[in-house]
Amino acid sequence: MLAHLLTLAAASLDIAGQKAGRAIALGVGGGLGAVGAGVGIGIIFGKVIESVTRQPEMRDEITQIQWLGFALTEACFFYGLVAGLIAFFL
Amino acid sequence: MSTRRKILLSFFGVYLLGAIFLIIAFGKGPKHSDFQPQNEFKLITWAKIGPIALNKGVLYIIVAGLLTTVTMLYIANRMQARPNRVQTAVETLYTLMRDNITRGNMDDRMSAKWFPFIGTLFLFIWYSNLVGYIPLPTNSGEKVHIFGANIPAFSLYAATANVGVPLILALIVFVAFNVEGVRARGFFGYIKSLVPRGVEGPMLLLIFPLEVASTFMRLLSLTVRLFANILAGHLIILFMSGGLAVILGLSVLGWITLPLGVILFLFEIGLVATLQAFIFATLSAIYLGGAVAAEH
Repeated sequence: MLAHLLTLAAASLDIAGQKAGRAIALGVGGGLGAVGAGVGIGIIFGKVIESVTRQPEMRDEITQIQWLGFALTEACFFYGLVAGLIAFFL
Repeated sequence: MSTRRKILLSFFGVYLLGAIFLIIAFGKGPKHSDFQPQNEFKLITWAKIGPIALNKGVLYIIVAGLLTTVTMLYIANRMQARPNRVQTAVETLYTLMRDNITRGNMDDRMSAKWFPFIGTLFLFIWYSNLVGYIPLPTNSGEKVHIFGANIPAFSLYAATANVGVPLILALIVFVAFNVEGVRARGFFGYIKSLVPRGVEGPMLLLIFPLEVASTFMRLLSLTVRLFANILAGHLIILFMSGGLAVILGLSVLGWITLPLGVILFLFEIGLVATLQAFIFATLSAIYLGGAVAAEH
């Protein structure tokens, strides 16, 4: 009985399981990546607003650092997304 | 009611009515599994010249390289004492590249030496990103018929959306900053400088491999940042402006996501294309400057 169930499970897992696993990989890669990067970008822009209101004369210098930080943080989202896309399509 | 409000309301009304009309007229069609979104990024070989295969990736590199060279040389040869608008814009760009990107991150001797490289890197990546947002008839996998002519389908593609191009650029930067570091301090001095000051004894065993790995991770992060940003931008524009509707067979979805597609398109052109070129150049300058800087 148990052996029968296991063979059935294995047979169905082969195709449907693979598809589901790929979809989960894409969802986790994109979704969790977006969560982390979103929090990070929020912190960066929050801190920029804070520091510009404290020292408005530093604005130009802060703006440059802000974009650097934004791009570095945003890239983390794409690492997750690329890993998910690789799992989904390859 | 002000005019602006009327226009906004009528846009919203058309949007809503169009969605309702599409639901009633077409409803839910069949799913199209024969449309593969990844085929938009497939490189089909058009011609072979020796070992070099010509495909749309190569075409985009050539177009971006030519545009960079030709436009910049044209403007540089026609410099005037009283600049017109284009010259002013290019001069602003030049100041950004020289003062902010290069001189902000290295000493004067290094920036005199490496400014041409950093500037070219910035301009090439920038042009390459921007050319990618012009729809060009390059997707030879599909054909469209316009007035009886059989031309390849229009598609968005950028040289930098292919992992190979950013990888080569990042490899050049990687080799350059390692060579500069070894030149400035000697081989063992450079290896020693990878470890932060004050780390001694058994901690060295832990920190040293991490620092070496992080040096190699720079290569990976430079590549993936540029390539994934551009690729994801193109993918999301594709999905938002009709791809999702085709895959799921829901024509109303295409109507609903179309404004999002336009907004994302403008966002990619206005911010991402420039920002990624800026980041690549700035990080290259930081790495090059950091390799020879006196203090770690």
